[in-house]
Amino acid sequence: MNQMIPPPVPTTWTTATTEAVHTGSWRAALPRYVQAPSPCHLACPVNGDIATWIRLARERDFRGAWEALTRHNPFPAIAGRVCHHPCESACNRSGYDEALSICRLERFVGDHAIAQRWSFAAPPVERDASVAVVGGGPAGLSAAYQLRRLGYRVTLHEARDALGGLMRHGIPSYRLARDVLDAEIARVVALGVDVHLSARLDTPAAWAALRSAHDAVFVATGAQRQKRLPGLDYAQPWVVDGAAWLAAANAGAPPALGRRVVVIGGGSAALDVARSARRRGHAVTVLALETRAQMPAQREEVEEALEEGVALADGAMLVAAREGPGGLRLACVRVTFLPGGPGAPFVVNRVDGSDFELHADAVVTSIGQDPDLAALDAALPADGALLAVDAVQATGADGVWAGGDVASLARFVTDAIGQGKRAAQAIDRALRSRRGDAAARRDWAPGPAAATPRDAPVELASIATHWYPRQVRAHAPRLAAAARLAGGDEVQLPLDVAQALDEASRCFSCGTCIACDTCVVVCPDLAVRRTGDGYAVLGDYCKGCGLCVAECPTGSMDMVEEVR
Amino acid sequence: MTPLDVQREAMLCSGHAACPGCIDALTARHVLATMGPDTMAVIPPSCMAVIAGPQPMSSLRIPVYQPTLESSAAAASGLRRALNATGRRDTQVLVLAGDGGTYDIGFQCLSSAAERNEDMLYVCLDNEGYMNTGAQKSSSTPHYARTGSTPAGKTSRKKNLVEIMAAHGVPYVATASASHLPDLVRKVEKAKAIRGMRFMSVLIPCLDGWGLPDDAGLKAARYAVECGAFPLVEVEDGTRWTLNVDTRTRPVAEYLSLQARYRGLADDEVAALQAEVDAAWDQLLARSRARGGAGAGEPR
Amino acid sequence: MDAVADAVADAVAARTLLLTGNEAVAWGARLARPQVCPVYPITPQTPVLEKLTEFQAQGVLDAEIITPESEHSVMSACIPASLAGARVFTATASQGLLLMHELLHYASGARVPIVMANVNRTVASPWAFWPDHTDSLAQRDTGWVQLYVESAQEALDSVLQAFRVAEQALLPVLVSLDAFYVSHAMEPVDVPSQTEVDAYLPPFAPPRRLDTASASSWGNVVSQDMFYRHRVALQEAMDGVPALLAQADGEWQRRFGRGWGVVERYRCEDADAVVVTMGSMCGTARVAVDALREAGEAVGLVKLRLFRPLPAAALRAALAGIRDVVVLDRNHSPGAGGILHQELRAALYGAPEAPRVHGLLAGVGGVNVPPQRIAAFARECRGTTPRPESVWVR
Repeated sequence: MNQMIPPPVPTTWTTATTEAVHTGSWRAALPRYVQAPSPCHLACPVNGDIATWIRLARERDFRGAWEALTRHNPFPAIAGRVCHHPCESACNRSGYDEALSICRLERFVGDHAIAQRWSFAAPPVERDASVAVVGGGPAGLSAAYQLRRLGYRVTLHEARDALGGLMRHGIPSYRLARDVLDAEIARVVALGVDVHLSARLDTPAAWAALRSAHDAVFVATGAQRQKRLPGLDYAQPWVVDGAAWLAAANAGAPPALGRRVVVIGGGSAALDVARSARRRGHAVTVLALETRAQMPAQREEVEEALEEGVALADGAMLVAAREGPGGLRLACVRVTFLPGGPGAPFVVNRVDGSDFELHADAVVTSIGQDPDLAALDAALPADGALLAVDAVQATGADGVWAGGDVASLARFVTDAIGQGKRAAQAIDRALRSRRGDAAARRDWAPGPAAATPRDAPVELASIATHWYPRQVRAHAPRLAAAARLAGGDEVQLPLDVAQALDEASRCFSCGTCIACDTCVVVCPDLAVRRTGDGYAVLGDYCKGCGLCVAECPTGSMDMVEEVR
Repeated sequence: MTPLDVQREAMLCSGHAACPGCIDALTARHVLATMGPDTMAVIPPSCMAVIAGPQPMSSLRIPVYQPTLESSAAAASGLRRALNATGRRDTQVLVLAGDGGTYDIGFQCLSSAAERNEDMLYVCLDNEGYMNTGAQKSSSTPHYARTGSTPAGKTSRKKNLVEIMAAHGVPYVATASASHLPDLVRKVEKAKAIRGMRFMSVLIPCLDGWGLPDDAGLKAARYAVECGAFPLVEVEDGTRWTLNVDTRTRPVAEYLSLQARYRGLADDEVAALQAEVDAAWDQLLARSRARGGAGAGEPR
Repeated sequence: MDAVADAVADAVAARTLLLTGNEAVAWGARLARPQVCPVYPITPQTPVLEKLTEFQAQGVLDAEIITPESEHSVMSACIPASLAGARVFTATASQGLLLMHELLHYASGARVPIVMANVNRTVASPWAFWPDHTDSLAQRDTGWVQLYVESAQEALDSVLQAFRVAEQALLPVLVSLDAFYVSHAMEPVDVPSQTEVDAYLPPFAPPRRLDTASASSWGNVVSQDMFYRHRVALQEAMDGVPALLAQADGEWQRRFGRGWGVVERYRCEDADAVVVTMGSMCGTARVAVDALREAGEAVGLVKLRLFRPLPAAALRAALAGIRDVVVLDRNHSPGAGGILHQELRAALYGAPEAPRVHGLLAGVGGVNVPPQRIAAFARECRGTTPRPESVWVR
């Protein structure tokens, strides 16, 4: 037998490194490098890659930021002005100092793209399938845009003579400058959308022809029918329909009203009417059922309206209106307003003895709109006042999807954009016979290959906030009230580059690795290594202490228990 | 946040025997990486010595000499002179010693080496007690801290070694913390460029000895700096003081509450510790301002 | 060797100088070209330190001299300096040697060929400064090779021989000389030239050293098995020392015409009794032996130069056929007696026809032991049955 006897271990002087010792066997849990959704991403109506585009903006890659933004939304300059930004309410930073000013940052990037005249790249492939989009508002344009990027032939039918829908005839130019609106819409059209203006579809034959001519149809005709206040005589010349007045005002030719105007309603539309009327010299009072805090209009809008001299009679309702010698006498009463929930209507209770009177020359009601379902394809199933749709905007009718105000009570521009996007994705899956779930929540840009996607969102507790100096959010400048009323210019002013970069640097990048190497450098065991654009944990050596998790500034590491 | 820009050429190997989450190992990792391959380490008995071995393996990619507990600075002097005598003047000598080996038993020879201005970087990995032997008090253990030898809390204050070392008039004395890694790395780089005795005291929260969760070492270190219990300072030539982080952003109580060694501390004891920290802080601030240096230097 | 060093070496020609033992030690050290000399002053070693620093100041000793706060730090500095590949010399005495005790073990474990001179001095308390070997003999278990010298010349020669043996065996060597009797007594000393010494003692080139080029570390914690094997190797190294010393001394004799041996037999021909002792007392004993021989008494001297490792075989050979051995111990191990007495009895135990060993505690604390007393001790012991314990005499 020729047995090999290993030489004895030297008693002094080292001959090897400790890398021969696999300390990984000590641990009970292993850190995992993840890509996880941020709260803002989940709250975003278009599920934008907010952390990603803010990071790119912070690195002064504005082109990259704009491209990341427009993966989900072709209208960053528009959304950056009018979005109700639920992302900011969800922002983890609000639990640290103040939420990020995401909306203003989005506007910054969008405005920059317009200034730079950036355009969308042509689709990488062109497909034969054709999709008809009915309605040229935010939902329709969003769907048309996403479908074109996927290479579908897209025909867009708009009843009016210009694209934009509510963005054009509902939102006044002091909130959304028309050159911005035009520029962002033109960029979508330039992708190769076959646009048909003044093309109203309101007969069964027209619908049938459309459906047979296309592989899929997306209906986004909006909500055109003004809701009316019971007990108010709309035949009277002093009762005015808010949406119609606003559309005319936005087109530059509003019908004449008397000097004193009472606007009824508490939403954005009511405030748009009120503020537009102020800009035409009217004395305006807004009469809203809700208290100021309850009003569905954004807080900033109410603030700005008050700055502009709009009077607010909140928590009150109109009881009766009668004409008198000095104009209208509006009998009103204070109410308590209890908001409704899903499926439950709101409740209003009068406060006894709180009667008061408003004097006016005209009453403009702006209390909401319903879709005109009668004009639509009768085959589409309805759900109350709306078209019925599922989570991916399918109507149940073969080949027909719907979105925007015709199918949703959400009534925000960006909700409509998100529905258009999700419908386009669903149409794509259907046309390519691809299986797919409604995984809109995972609709983020692909992260580093090494990262494990995780559904659970990133909470503030998993952000190592000490990396971020406390800093209040960017001050949002506004035009002075007098200048607003005199010129009609945009009220909200843009952030300058320095402000934008500063604000972008506040972002926690929740769940989106920023490749800062913290996990590598805080590991006492040198068990985290960089792999291309991501990181790998070396199972042979990691002792499972969790320092890389505790110190990660973006919540991109978590711990997974191991069972041996 | 700004990505960390620290030297990453690893001179410490994986597979070492440090406890999970050990800040001693993490600190050594960055000190060693910053010092680079033309360095020899002197490591007396301590947690770091355990981390460095066991025979026949080494976790350091540079040669290590392990002296007796009380003799690090003397041993480093001998090594230094031997390198000088054999044409290796550029090779750095780096001591990685614990606070027991520095504040207590090794203090005599450290003082002597400082007086001779021996050319070495002496880094005290200060975990405020004899942690390798199961947490007994050293002269670095702070007031009121409970250890195996002070079960009712230490009745005297922590020795102010920075002041003592500065009083030797050596070219460079500094404190640092792995929680403020760029500052630590900058100081090691600065020390590396200086010849003569350079002394650094780095706070090492000991997970076991202080009673901290495995992932909380850096947090404790950060709190220590932020509350002023462990100020980040530099002293050049024994006279020019700089307080690197010159604002305190949390009370001492928050730092204490992280640690089991202060569990059950009475309110008046917390207040007394706060007062001690306040007084020391005021003195540092005055010294730092005297040379126009308050807040000079980048903490991160 | 570069041109400047050549010039220095040639300039230092062989010569005879009037030197004290301490100065001779310093000369020996200088000629060995040590590279690092950590040193701390202590009476009666101080002149060694002063001479070394003087040589360095003159530019004839190119060594890094370290002057730390204690002997403890001296030895702490010596060990890694040697591990890093430098030739290291130091000197101490008494309390200083005891303060080094922990590091003495550490040095032999590290297998570093440090050469240290020790001026033997009483160990306090009470305080005293007289010749006594207890300081160095108390270090007998530390793993150091121990040489005891009788004169300034032997001190110089032994320092150089010690380096040669130390670097071959990779063991530290202690060269002990008695306080005052040797350290401060002046005598003519032949000082060899640097060139001759360089030919005798090549530069230190250890098989391994602390070096960033190899990144091998020293001092790790080891297992029981490793520790056991390490001690076996240390013993083997010790076992080889008598032969290495004999060779080094033989080579010295060839080059310089004088040698000191490992165990020296002085006038032991046909002796029925011999005196065995170490250090300066050997010189006194020579006078006593000469007088006894003059009187026709067959008494000799066996000088033990190498105490550690104890050259037991050489001692047995040197004492073969001797009837009575008189051990003079200038040291005291309380409760045991004379250390050489114990060691010698152990070395002779079981030897065929082993001599009778008489242990005398003579000269402890530095008391004078004149030749007449040594002659008297020999006469008194000769032909008597020895007592088992060491006997106090003066």
